[in-house]
Amino acid sequence: MEEEKEKVSRRNFLAIATGAIGGLIGIVMAIPAVAYVVGPALQRRSQENWVRLGPTSKVELGNPTLFKTVVESQTGWIVSEDEVSVYVLTEDGRDFIALSNICTHLGCRVRWISDQGQYFCPCHNAAFDKFGDVVSGPPPKPLDQFETKVEDDQLFILLGG
Amino acid sequence: MSVGFGNWLDERIGWRKVWDAIFLRKIPKVNWFYTLGSATLFVALLQGITGILLTIYYVPTPDHAYDSVQFITTQVPAGWFIRGVHHWGASAMVLLTVLHMVRVIMYGAYKYPREVTWFTGVGLLLVTMGFGFTGYLLPWDQKAYWATIVGTRIAGVAPFIGEPILRIMRGGEDLSAVTLARFFGTHVWVLPTLLLLLLGFHMYLVIRQGISAVPKRGE
Repeated sequence: MEEEKEKVSRRNFLAIATGAIGGLIGIVMAIPAVAYVVGPALQRRSQENWVRLGPTSKVELGNPTLFKTVVESQTGWIVSEDEVSVYVLTEDGRDFIALSNICTHLGCRVRWISDQGQYFCPCHNAAFDKFGDVVSGPPPKPLDQFETKVEDDQLFILLGG
Repeated sequence: MSVGFGNWLDERIGWRKVWDAIFLRKIPKVNWFYTLGSATLFVALLQGITGILLTIYYVPTPDHAYDSVQFITTQVPAGWFIRGVHHWGASAMVLLTVLHMVRVIMYGAYKYPREVTWFTGVGLLLVTMGFGFTGYLLPWDQKAYWATIVGTRIAGVAPFIGEPILRIMRGGEDLSAVTLARFFGTHVWVLPTLLLLLLGFHMYLVIRQGISAVPKRGE
């Protein structure tokens, strides 16, 4: 009777020990695995930096002017050059508004139609006024604005802020 | 798993019979050398898990292979660990497979009625070697490149069929993007499929035949 009892407990002990060691190995593998899969998703964009658009003299008074600039960015192991298009508006030649040309609805590129005095998005017929506010169509909010600064008559915008 | 739920599930899928057949089967009195097969199986499982994780970032083209491996090792959290386990696990696989085989040979465990188990085991050894050979190229560094040049050349010296084999392995005259892609495809699709088939059969036979006892002198 006594012996019988002992046998069962020995078996149970081995089962528990096997389970515990197996569980430990599982955890040692699972934690790095989750970090490995999720890691890049948690990484923030590259920190903000000022990007030169061009001379302020290029901006027409009262009319949005398109500037294109190339920004180097790294995704994963690939360094790529992306073209960033920005509409710049000034009413007095001193204060500048820099608007993103990315529609706030679903990310199509908007175009300035000077005849109508509106930005137009071809994807879903959205229209924004020259300050980027929504005139008509589905966009939920005005066009994004970049912070601007002028140094030596050169116009800069803050990207990644 | 609570007993109640275990019973509920057993009535429906009959898992207890399978569980008992695998884990509660009768075995003769054996020694630690008999764990080498299980050890090989464990490392194979580890290789499968870490290998699947590596494919999440690895890209098998000459443009990206090296850089994506560097990215895994230096940028991805725990990437060095996942790659490290896969790297050392590969050597462990070959080592354990061979040791397991040596045990089977030394104890005469390949004899009647276990000949077919032995043959599937030999197949598994070849699959393991194939994994090692194709996986070695994938980091696409100098060592990988030249080792595969040499490895395919060795296949090429076989009389008559050597040249065609070399060309099929490389996917052309030279070691190229085609070679990398087919080594990758073989490493992650062909060999794992073969491994699963052979391993399933191998283990079915181990369970069906039971394992052999340590032979005694004069038997």
